Amino acid sequence: MYENIASNKRKTGFLIIGFLIFICAIGYAVGLYLDYRYGANGGYSIVLMIFALIIAVAVSFWSYYGSDKLVLKLTRARQLQRDQNPKVYYMVEGLSIAAGLPMPKVYIIEDNGMNAFATGRNPSNGIIVLTSGLIDNLSDSELKGVIAHELSHIKNYDILLGTIIVALVGMIAIISNIILRGFIFGGGRRKSARSSGGGILSIIFLILGLILIIISPIIATIIKLAISRSREYLADSNSALITRYPAGLANALRKISARGKIKAANNAMAHLFIANPFGIKQKNFLSNLFNTHPPAEERIRRLENMALGVGVK
Amino acid sequence: MLTGIIILLLAIAAILLMLLFAGIGIYNSIVSLRNKADNAWHQIDVQLRKRYDLIPNLVETVKGYATHEKETLQKVINARRLGIDAKTVTDQAKAENMITGTLKSLFAVSERYPTLKADQQFSKLMEQLNGIESNIAYARQFYNDMIMKFNTRIQTFPGNMFAGMFKFEKKDYFEIEKPTAREPVKVKF
Repeated sequence: MYENIASNKRKTGFLIIGFLIFICAIGYAVGLYLDYRYGANGGYSIVLMIFALIIAVAVSFWSYYGSDKLVLKLTRARQLQRDQNPKVYYMVEGLSIAAGLPMPKVYIIEDNGMNAFATGRNPSNGIIVLTSGLIDNLSDSELKGVIAHELSHIKNYDILLGTIIVALVGMIAIISNIILRGFIFGGGRRKSARSSGGGILSIIFLILGLILIIISPIIATIIKLAISRSREYLADSNSALITRYPAGLANALRKISARGKIKAANNAMAHLFIANPFGIKQKNFLSNLFNTHPPAEERIRRLENMALGVGVK
Repeated sequence: MLTGIIILLLAIAAILLMLLFAGIGIYNSIVSLRNKADNAWHQIDVQLRKRYDLIPNLVETVKGYATHEKETLQKVINARRLGIDAKTVTDQAKAENMITGTLKSLFAVSERYPTLKADQQFSKLMEQLNGIESNIAYARQFYNDMIMKFNTRIQTFPGNMFAGMFKFEKKDYFEIEKPTAREPVKVKF
């Protein structure tokens, strides 16, 4: 448990350092290109690298304090007040007491798909997000299992790493995209103006294209490495410990895995959800690449072993 | 010869130093567990206080409709008083079980008054009370988990040595009465 918290904090540190290095490298590379193009001797590359470093540090701070809000905005979640759904509110309150956590904020996504995730940077700023489909279709004991699972993610600091990944990895994807476009268009203009430099430029373009092709699987791998599957099993067993009723979560997972698909989900944040938000039917290359969840059958089996037959359907 | 003695003394000093650090670590872990248990108790206390605050409102609301139930209401009020005055964990647990019991009989009584059941204020209070009662149950679970960890630490080796030295005492569980588990259920037709 405490090793998990330490490991999550360490991984978050590495991720931010990796991000800083990546952005600086990009700044330096763009600077080198400008030096080559306009003939300034080493002027642009250093300036741009420092500039990139400043931006990257600012972005890292922003991602630490603001990426939970980004995730909430992306999923179009709205906050739930006590009066709107006292039952769910009391459930979260009670289970967070049982987990020894401060009461997290509760958000709702209006979607018939059944899914849930947690976000925030630490337990005092924890947020639990549930879809309306989840609340409507699960029984009380099943809903408690899911909420307790998300509370375990908060307690283990899984939310810190998972949420920062959404912001930083998303940022890297956007930057690589901009650079790719910049070189395509920049290269095009250049070719028509001075055809003599075209040979070198097309080589640069080719290399960058190759790099970008390599980069997206690397990003996916980063996510996979960071979000190890064992944390889902750990959160499942912690959930069972909090609710003292493993069959609740097992039955919930059975329902969720059949109807987990929700509209406002994308690859950058699939790893946050309790079950694959793209549904089980869609099995293309990309969604398999980003598949960060252990199979639901295995999770259900482990939970039912814990339940010793109590409440198992 | 002299170097041999110096090495021996250094080795003994190193071992003593290691034992000292290990001792500090164990002592600190016991204190940290005790603080966690105290915090868990505080969580229960917060919920209990919420219930104490709610009971007078509930009693007033019921009084307006159920005029013939003075005795039941008085029992609830007495149990609340007992809970507020309780000093030890065991007394507190006893009083809380009493409150839960008297509230149950109050609800059984309220079933006889349809106008009371239809009262908005009453149903809102009931909902809050249900929420608080489940929170008390969860807080009790958390507290008992913490007590178990603390008690295990001070009863097993090497924690038990420190418990004796620094007077760490075993803490009491917050127990609930399960009347159904103790006496056989009588079924009447």
